[in-house]
Amino acid sequence: MKRFIITITLMLIHATNLLAQQEKVDVFPAVSYDRFIIFQTLAIFWIGIIGLIIIIKIKLKEIERIQKMGINKEEKDIPLLD
Amino acid sequence: MNCQRLKNWVEERYDVEEIKDFAKKKLVPTHKYEIWYYTGGITLFLFVIQFITGMILSFYYVPHFEHAYKSIIEIVTKLNMGWFFRSLHHWGAQLAIVFLFIHVWSTLLLKSYRKPREFLWFSGFMLLGISIFFGLSGYLLLWDERAFAAVKVATGGAGNLPVIGNFIKAFLRGGIDVTGETLIRFYAFHVSILPLATLFLIGLHILLVQYHGMSVPLSLEKKAHKEIPFFPNLFYKDLIIWLIILGIVVTLATLVPPEIGKKADPLAPAPENIKPEWYFLFLFQTLKLFPGEILGLNGEMIAIILISCGILFFFLIPFFDKKSNRGEKSPLFTWIGIIYFLYFVIMTVFGFVS
Repeated sequence: MKRFIITITLMLIHATNLLAQQEKVDVFPAVSYDRFIIFQTLAIFWIGIIGLIIIIKIKLKEIERIQKMGINKEEKDIPLLD
Repeated sequence: MNCQRLKNWVEERYDVEEIKDFAKKKLVPTHKYEIWYYTGGITLFLFVIQFITGMILSFYYVPHFEHAYKSIIEIVTKLNMGWFFRSLHHWGAQLAIVFLFIHVWSTLLLKSYRKPREFLWFSGFMLLGISIFFGLSGYLLLWDERAFAAVKVATGGAGNLPVIGNFIKAFLRGGIDVTGETLIRFYAFHVSILPLATLFLIGLHILLVQYHGMSVPLSLEKKAHKEIPFFPNLFYKDLIIWLIILGIVVTLATLVPPEIGKKADPLAPAPENIKPEWYFLFLFQTLKLFPGEILGLNGEMIAIILISCGILFFFLIPFFDKKSNRGEKSPLFTWIGIIYFLYFVIMTVFGFVS
């Protein structure tokens, strides 16, 4: 009984610390599975961005190559095939 | 309706070919300083992110002092992806202000404000001011103790302006002190007045850029420089940079979501070591430098007057820099720009560490 009362008293003393602690709002999902999904999605998102950048870069290089060759300009006196 | 029919339908009504032709013919200069051209586009892209995320958040936010804090906690904890959109809105705002500052300083150092682009400078500068007010008004919407104290300090500082100070303070606060009325006013500013002003100024700014064309730095103006088509060359480069910025904003929003403090209590004392948002730190630190009284006058009032004069001078630089307007080099204004920049950076760093 004596041990039980001491345990309860100690627990209550420690519990008072909680009152002094500032309540923190979870601004990010706390569940580890949710966190894993979020980080995984972030990694996939970056892969997508890098892929898009590579595609645009290739397209831009191709456009610049065509512009350098001068075949992008329309000729004024081009014969029409009717 | 298939694609070709839709295309024909539009072409019957609008001269699409002319628009296409204009986009193809529009040329932009290319040189060693061209990287600074992209800062404007990045800011525009971040504004778009802000508008989209802001609209989503406004569906769930309650602009009332008793419910505002709770509604944000519900957005963050209960709403699907709510934490992400709030975080995206926060980081989008931070980066938009960073890039606006970079854009303003690059314009200043490259003397892009010179004749005939004075109105471009004024509209850009006003957009910077509006963005900072966007930040301040958005900060209060959180209604936590830090935001409450920061807005109290900021609006109190505005009250120190002579003659119109008290009117500005009362107008912003909606009364003598920061209360629920202030929250409603800041909400109105944040979701209706400032977005409208921003849209108008962005429209004017883009229109003026189209009218005047891209500015070429003074040192390169007389030299022969290459020009590239805006579409598709520059547009594709813009697209690449926007994708990188989108990646950075999303990463920051995911890894560093902004914290929420304790609910604001108007009767409680301000929390210790209270600091405003980073873009106000240089002002905050400057105010600290001044003693309470100078020659019998209020020190804070003198500080506010000096800061206002400094900002006004910065705003009116196109009128003062006569040499740049004549197409001559003006190292004095380059140094003024560098001094302003160093002052801003040093004071902000001091504000952080002190």
